[in-house]
Amino acid sequence: MGSRLVLARRTLGSLRSEKTIVLALVIQLFIAGFSSFLVVGLVSLYDPGSTESGALDVEVGVTGNASAEVATAIAGDDGRSAVPYGSQSAASAAFQRGEVQALVHATQQPSGRILVEATAPEGSFRTTLVVTELKDALSTLEREQRATFSHRLERQPIALPPEEQSNPYFSFTYTVLLPLLAFLPAFISGSVMADSLAEEAERGTLELLRVAPLSLRDVVDGKAIALVGLAPAQVALWLALLSYNGTAIANPVAVLALVAGVAAVLVAGGAALALRIGARREAQLLYSFVALGAFGAASLLPQSPQNLVARLAVDSPTTFTWLTLAATLALAAAAYAGLRWLAGGGET
Amino acid sequence: MKARNVLRVARWETTRSAGDIDRETAVAFVVVLLALAAIVPALVTMGPTPGEGIYRVGVTEDSQYADVVASDPQLVAVDPGADADVVVTDTTITYDDTAKGRAALSTLRSATVGYNDFLMRQEPDQNAAFPVVVSLTYRPQSIDVTGTQTGDDATDDDDDLDGSEGGAGAGTGGDDGQQAGGDGGGDGVAGGDDIPATGGGLSGLLGQAQSGTPSSISPPFPLQSLVFAFAFLLPLNIVIQAYGSSVLAERINRRGEPMLVAPISRGDIVAGKTLPYLLGALALISAIAAATGASALAVLAVAPLAALFLAATFFGAMLARSYKELTFVTVTVSVALTAYAFVPAVFAEVHPIAAISPLTVVVDSITGDGVTAGQFVLSTVPPGLAAFVLFGLGTGVYREEDMFTQLPIPSKLLDALAAPLTTRWRAGLWTALFLPFVFVAELFAVAVLFVAPVSISIPLLLGTVAVIEEVAKSIHVFAGFERGQYDRTFRNALVVGAASGVGFFLAEKLLLVTQLVGLPELDVAQAAFSPELLGASPGLLLVAPLALHVVTAAVSAVGAARSRLAYLGTLALAIVLHVAYNLAVVVVSLG
Repeated sequence: MGSRLVLARRTLGSLRSEKTIVLALVIQLFIAGFSSFLVVGLVSLYDPGSTESGALDVEVGVTGNASAEVATAIAGDDGRSAVPYGSQSAASAAFQRGEVQALVHATQQPSGRILVEATAPEGSFRTTLVVTELKDALSTLEREQRATFSHRLERQPIALPPEEQSNPYFSFTYTVLLPLLAFLPAFISGSVMADSLAEEAERGTLELLRVAPLSLRDVVDGKAIALVGLAPAQVALWLALLSYNGTAIANPVAVLALVAGVAAVLVAGGAALALRIGARREAQLLYSFVALGAFGAASLLPQSPQNLVARLAVDSPTTFTWLTLAATLALAAAAYAGLRWLAGGGET
Repeated sequence: MKARNVLRVARWETTRSAGDIDRETAVAFVVVLLALAAIVPALVTMGPTPGEGIYRVGVTEDSQYADVVASDPQLVAVDPGADADVVVTDTTITYDDTAKGRAALSTLRSATVGYNDFLMRQEPDQNAAFPVVVSLTYRPQSIDVTGTQTGDDATDDDDDLDGSEGGAGAGTGGDDGQQAGGDGGGDGVAGGDDIPATGGGLSGLLGQAQSGTPSSISPPFPLQSLVFAFAFLLPLNIVIQAYGSSVLAERINRRGEPMLVAPISRGDIVAGKTLPYLLGALALISAIAAATGASALAVLAVAPLAALFLAATFFGAMLARSYKELTFVTVTVSVALTAYAFVPAVFAEVHPIAAISPLTVVVDSITGDGVTAGQFVLSTVPPGLAAFVLFGLGTGVYREEDMFTQLPIPSKLLDALAAPLTTRWRAGLWTALFLPFVFVAELFAVAVLFVAPVSISIPLLLGTVAVIEEVAKSIHVFAGFERGQYDRTFRNALVVGAASGVGFFLAEKLLLVTQLVGLPELDVAQAAFSPELLGASPGLLLVAPLALHVVTAAVSAVGAARSRLAYLGTLALAIVLHVAYNLAVVVVSLG
């Protein structure tokens, strides 16, 4: 066991001296930061309420014989106001001058249906926001109109639950960001394992290691201990950072166990490919494809790895969640045993 | 460089790659690719939801809301007595006053909206079930984001106005037809023949006219280029991974030696080794363009970026010590270049800044908007030139003494920078060749900073520009002195510095290309690319920047000739001088 630990320490040492581990952390941070930046930007475009500036007020020019109903629906929310105009051309001119950000021409048909011709500014930063507000106002109008026509309907729409300020990034944080941060280190660990073994094989230093009082199995063990251990360590860092930022993480130990299991499977896969193929380019390519395919196939499971992380962290696990976690750990043990069997040349 | 030699090396690279793979590996590749091909359609049809069951709603089975909960995968029904985030009873809806409880409530609300639409679609009286039908069109406003009003824009608006009014009229006709048909789903309406069919199902997200019920309207997706960034750039990662491995493999166990002693030039070897991968990348891009409906112009626009991916990987593989290091070099290259292509393209169709990214050309070719020659040049020439220069630098160290030695990346980098500096005037030539990188870096800085208020963005940008330009003018000079290409004398320092400054000044005229797309209208871009004295005499306009570049380059060269520490000191001094000059110019031209 001692010699394996020495090898594990040397593997970590080489990661440190080549600064790859630092780069790995920086890249993960960049990817996570980038995707969060995107979502924050996206949500603030779609959901004006989330950016509490209040400066974004959408003014809508309203015309047509149903303008009274439309104006009520538009004015029903803080973020918008309705400006009535006598004619479509007057409203259009005001739109051209930028006095209103959107136009709504509403005409009620004899059937009771209101036809709305809506116009939004083309190619502007505010287009998305304007369209979102229009959609919201017209949905309100739709609900009010349905209520007036309730005698004409056989079924009645269900009353909406109350509206409450909620964090629009909540779901994203647990279902996208957290799984990304959890599985990226595991993926990188497997990739580095393939690199490390393929390089030893290509340089011929694997032969040298065999001359040392170590079996190939010990070599694989040593490298794998280092790389499988590294993945949960990085994820623990991300979890700590997220909790510090106010994102509560339930069941952190279970999340880390899942990451260690996935990392073990990927590391075993990377090592097996590198040992079997012996050339980095082919091993690395095949590893990428296999890992991608495995993640794709796993997301077809009733509870995918991504879903497991989300459920555990958000504190909605079911019995099945715990069973899947146990199955993942069992798979990791099996994969690792398979790798040791392969490294031992097929003997037990 | 001889075409025959290049082709022979290319053929050798291809056949060797194919021959290297044993049958077992080849079979494994085929099996894995087939499995991937089987998984993708399954993923598309199943549509996995990573958020499945994260919100627990306590609801009895006979409640109306039980069906609502069943309709949204994020929600899961539990017994009302059990631990739940939201509890629905006959009279009230209560929720946990936590972040999770509120998120669950808002998910339940939007699920109810969707469920109501589903209920209403089964009503016989569709006029009462869907009492509002919307047709949405987009029309330009004459005020643009920078708040300036130009004559050109105004005339454009008039033309567009007529066009879109015609479109709106036709859209109404479509609505009438839909009413007669009585099909209230709203899907039938969108097929009006006035709507351009480009983009297929993406048309709503791409900001084109649409119509239907209020809930069927989708706001334009401002980050459409995200989709294209992934579609066009992710496959390039596979190519650069294979390419990087192939280059680094030459450096392991002196495998590349036989080729080095063959009677062909280094350029032939590098070009030959690269050619199959470049062709592969182009084939991939063409296939993706065909699949997304982009034109040949889009392929042409992405091609220089693909070359830059390969060039940066080649250079990285020449510097890396091991495969592990190469993995991280490759990831860094792909993250950085994806960001460069992606960030400006976020503003496609919104802002001239987007012209920086080749992806804008792709987006425009899919939506059918025209691309001006200026936009095309701006988005393709800088990455193309940068690729060319990186290949040049990498080829410079494609020689025995560098390929087969193990050194940390920074010192290998100095080797690579110093290698081409055989004479003093060559320092100026290489400064000029670095300009594409300066340009790419400055464009990226503009793209990132332009949303910030002018009072913050301009000083930040002036600082960034000074740092980028001064480093570009001096880093190879420093390498030249460190690696003994130049004698460490004061006179040498002045001559080399002046050469570098002149080279930069001449090449900087390339930046005039920004004028083609009207970037200078932007305050930030103006500060970055043309901080010139408005109203000063033409002679001064030419002499002042020349003097600036020569002086600052000479200052940092003097330090570079002494030691690393002295170089850092004089570089800082040069940056301060540069910022002071830029600030003076901005203040004079604004005041």
